[in-house]
Amino acid sequence: MTEQTPQSQLSSTSNSGKPLLEVKNLKMYFPIVKGIFGKISGYVKAADEVSFSIRSGETLGLVGESGCGKTTVGRCIVRAYKPTGGNIIYRRADETDVDLAKVDSKGLQAYRKDIRIIFQDPFSSLNPRMNVFEIISEVLRVNNLCSPKEMEYLVAQTMEQCGLRPEYMRRYPHAFSGGERQRIGIAHALVTSPRLVVCDEAVSGLDVSVRAQILNLMEDLRRDLNLTYLFISHDLSVIRHICDRVAVMYVGKLVELADANTLYTNPLHPYTESLMSAVPIPDPDLREYKNRIRLEGEVADPSNPPSGCYFHPRCRYAKDRCRTETPELRDLGNDHFVACHFADELELVGVRMA
Amino acid sequence: MDCVMQRILINKREIKVPLMANNDNILIQVKDLKIHFFTNEGTVQAVDGVTFDIRSGKTLCMVGESGCGKSVTARALLQIVHRPGKIVAGDIVLYRQKNQDQAEAINISKLEPKGHVIRSIRGKEISMIFQEPMTSLSPMYTVGNQIMETIRLHTGADKKQARGRTLEMLEFVGIPRPDRIIDEYPFRLSGGMRQRAMIAMALSCNPRLLIADEPTTALDVTTQAQIIDLMQSLQKDYDMGILFITHDLGVVAEIADNVAVMYLGNVVEYSDVRTIFHDPQHPYTQSLLRSIPKVTATREKLEVIRGMVPSPFRRPSGCPFHPRCTKAMPICSEVEPKTVSLTENHLVHCLLFDESAKKPAREMAS
Repeated sequence: MTEQTPQSQLSSTSNSGKPLLEVKNLKMYFPIVKGIFGKISGYVKAADEVSFSIRSGETLGLVGESGCGKTTVGRCIVRAYKPTGGNIIYRRADETDVDLAKVDSKGLQAYRKDIRIIFQDPFSSLNPRMNVFEIISEVLRVNNLCSPKEMEYLVAQTMEQCGLRPEYMRRYPHAFSGGERQRIGIAHALVTSPRLVVCDEAVSGLDVSVRAQILNLMEDLRRDLNLTYLFISHDLSVIRHICDRVAVMYVGKLVELADANTLYTNPLHPYTESLMSAVPIPDPDLREYKNRIRLEGEVADPSNPPSGCYFHPRCRYAKDRCRTETPELRDLGNDHFVACHFADELELVGVRMA
Repeated sequence: MDCVMQRILINKREIKVPLMANNDNILIQVKDLKIHFFTNEGTVQAVDGVTFDIRSGKTLCMVGESGCGKSVTARALLQIVHRPGKIVAGDIVLYRQKNQDQAEAINISKLEPKGHVIRSIRGKEISMIFQEPMTSLSPMYTVGNQIMETIRLHTGADKKQARGRTLEMLEFVGIPRPDRIIDEYPFRLSGGMRQRAMIAMALSCNPRLLIADEPTTALDVTTQAQIIDLMQSLQKDYDMGILFITHDLGVVAEIADNVAVMYLGNVVEYSDVRTIFHDPQHPYTQSLLRSIPKVTATREKLEVIRGMVPSPFRRPSGCPFHPRCTKAMPICSEVEPKTVSLTENHLVHCLLFDESAKKPAREMAS
């Protein structure tokens, strides 16, 4: 992995063209079951009318606090969950579209190799009773993607790409450190040569020095294999580092979506602003300059969200209209989408550039 | 096992600690602390000669990757290092006011873990906030019950007084409707609330030293910001010393007065927060700072530290960082570095700065 040209240049050229994946009004409601007869007493709206698109070759970040539904969206896209409503339009390699939200489990087999997921916890996401070869090749075996002979070659090749030594193929996960396990997780996702990879908090459980190695590896792989990432994380510094565009979620709804630079320096939603002001900046000299916005209260309960704009009880700019009317996600130009009634009027502060 | 213990006892050095060194508001002094874990696979030197002090009203941040011994060091201050871990050498001297004009020094490392003296210190002089608010509160008792227990034990207050004080503390740490939350079980509270309840418990007896072991790692950024603000304002009010353990350098930059960077059981660099961030000298500190993605910077390749933290059973010879160090010299694999004082408040544990060990070292570094 050698030094290459800055990523921003590469990504801007690959951004053109139609989206690889388009999520339209995605809804995922989980029923709350009460009593022994399984009466449904309500729904947790983990994802509610979420719409965004991922362009081929880009990295889209999905941020939000815990419980905001970002993982749910990721799992809907890999179809670990069957969405309650909405569309997930996937553009196949032959330029035809298919709605993954409607496809049944048998039909999904064809897309299992195209859309893959990397999980957060490298300790619990690998089966301790399977060795590395079995873990990585499982998807090939189950889906009959190649012959046993090719399999060994393919696994070895993928392991090498991910910075693992193919000789360790017959070892079990316990023999590897956290960083190496995350590499196994990445190899597991990449062995089918996918087009879209959902990275669900893929670097959150790692130490600082290992995290840097994995981030660089993912960046290199994206460039070399022409991958598209949906990068889910709560760590705003990591998102800033790896993403082209960023979507912010709050209680199951998308509140803002924009180019990473724009979103960080010029946020238009009050929630994004408060998130930005809460990020600790590793420079002691900037300590005095920061005026942090203190968010009052807690994240709203997704089974019983507030009326109007879900953020209004914690928003310092909230007016009467916010209490009654739910804001729609609208385009404010330059591909900057915001769900706030007063996005044009508010003057919000982003991250101070160093 | 017996022979290992024996050898360590023979090698154990006695360090003379002045009894009245308390002119600089020093709360606690740790000198050459060594904690080893005697496991079946061998001895792990989890903490290998750590020295630092904490002053009242100041925050010392301990940073390092997992397995560097930062949590064990913190636990040693309360004598809660569990078997197979054992404090094998070193002193932890706590200075406290005995009465009006008399101060006393207590060497915590020599105290009996279940003895009467350390139990009067835990929760009173020194208290601790743990990483996971989920597992560190008992699920069997209400939040109020757990806080009241501490208060009644240390102040001898009766039930009613303790409850009053608990309500006061809960309100103080910003928990809404404390009169209701006091009778709730921990599982009913969110992560941020639980951490606040932990802080309320830790502060209920006005400790002079607060140990916070990754208190915000499991929390969201917005909650993390709230908790950090809270701790800072409490520190101002009570002139409390804080030992803050974290691996998040952003948090360090925000709250630390002094920083101790740890690697495999050693403090490799110790200085004030500005020096650590703007003029780090140890190669590990330098690489660590370059390997973090910054929210203020645009996308570029991160610099990585090659390799990974070695297994504690296979500790490299000489300087434990030398296999990953960019400035390693041949001598680094042979000689264990000594701690060198660069300025009054800047200590580095590296052979590059040890004039007695090697002369051409400086040239290689530049």
